[in-house]
Amino acid sequence: MNSMHGAMLPPEFASDTRPGNPFATRYTRPGAIPPLDRHGIPLDVAALASRFEAVTAAAIEGPHGHGKSTLLCALAATLHAVGRPVTIVQIRDWHDACTACIAIVTAPRRTAVFVDGWERLGLLAGPMRLVARMLRRRLLITSHRPAGLPVLWTCATTPALLRAIVARVPDHGGVVNEMDIDAAFQRHGGNIRETLSDLYDTIERRSRLPSTALPS
Amino acid sequence: MTRSPDGRPSPVVSLQFDRVDRRYEPGAPLTARYRVEGLGDEPIEAVEHSVLWYTEGKGEEDLGVHFFARVEGEAARPGDGTITFHTRLPASPLSYEGVIVKVRWCARVRIFFRAARDFVSEHVFEVGRLPPARLVTAEAP
Repeated sequence: MNSMHGAMLPPEFASDTRPGNPFATRYTRPGAIPPLDRHGIPLDVAALASRFEAVTAAAIEGPHGHGKSTLLCALAATLHAVGRPVTIVQIRDWHDACTACIAIVTAPRRTAVFVDGWERLGLLAGPMRLVARMLRRRLLITSHRPAGLPVLWTCATTPALLRAIVARVPDHGGVVNEMDIDAAFQRHGGNIRETLSDLYDTIERRSRLPSTALPS
Repeated sequence: MTRSPDGRPSPVVSLQFDRVDRRYEPGAPLTARYRVEGLGDEPIEAVEHSVLWYTEGKGEEDLGVHFFARVEGEAARPGDGTITFHTRLPASPLSYEGVIVKVRWCARVRIFFRAARDFVSEHVFEVGRLPPARLVTAEAP
């Protein structure tokens, strides 16, 4: 469980050294790149935060690796920046369900509880939503499938979105080209996380080859 | 002068290590000095400088801070001079250029502005002399 304290917006970043691999987690994790829509245009996160403020519970929906956690992270930072406390719980297994339950029950009145990976709660999802509603907790969840909550945003990916993300990671010196990017996108069925992992491997493979073997 | 995404000028941190090749032996002393330019008149909350290692790769990340100092308030404004700091590096971890994971050492200068933004400048150096990992290609049977 993470409560947001201090400056949560990503800092401006400068380095005098070329990054080891521009597709490494530190450059692509949620929060490192602002959420983009399916056309690769930055989402109006402040407007989405305002929409969430108008309801007590909402969901961000979309398949695995389509940017739900990235958007959740950006919304948490935006709300935090305007003095709205947020607690984030990431559900990876059943143990985290207890953490989510405790967060919902013990959250101070104005605190919003963000639950990432709601579908992993399984049968506990219904009772947990009921508890949140009874205690009037503000709840924002991410889910792969419809969760019966008002949908704040549905995440979708396209090759244009992936190209926009690649344009925002540190310079890779042309080691991967647009064909590589589109091919990786197709290979992973639009899963951006897996695609970036694939491009990481491509960079490692090519950057360790003798320079004469690099693709032209 | 570079600019932040919202159009404000970004500072420029010039940092020099006492070893030009930026290669240090484990346990060796390290001295670095830096100068910050382009701050303008924007009020500063604090400036931190640190020496740390981090992992870079595909999975979970790790980080260890070896040396850290923070100066609060306007006293943090570096002015025209340079700021120098010293530390003695530990025996490990060594810098490593792996395929799945890399271990990197860096000196980091972080400037916190009162206007709820901060700026980070990283300057990578190496500890030890581990050779980079090689990719092994499976031979066709």
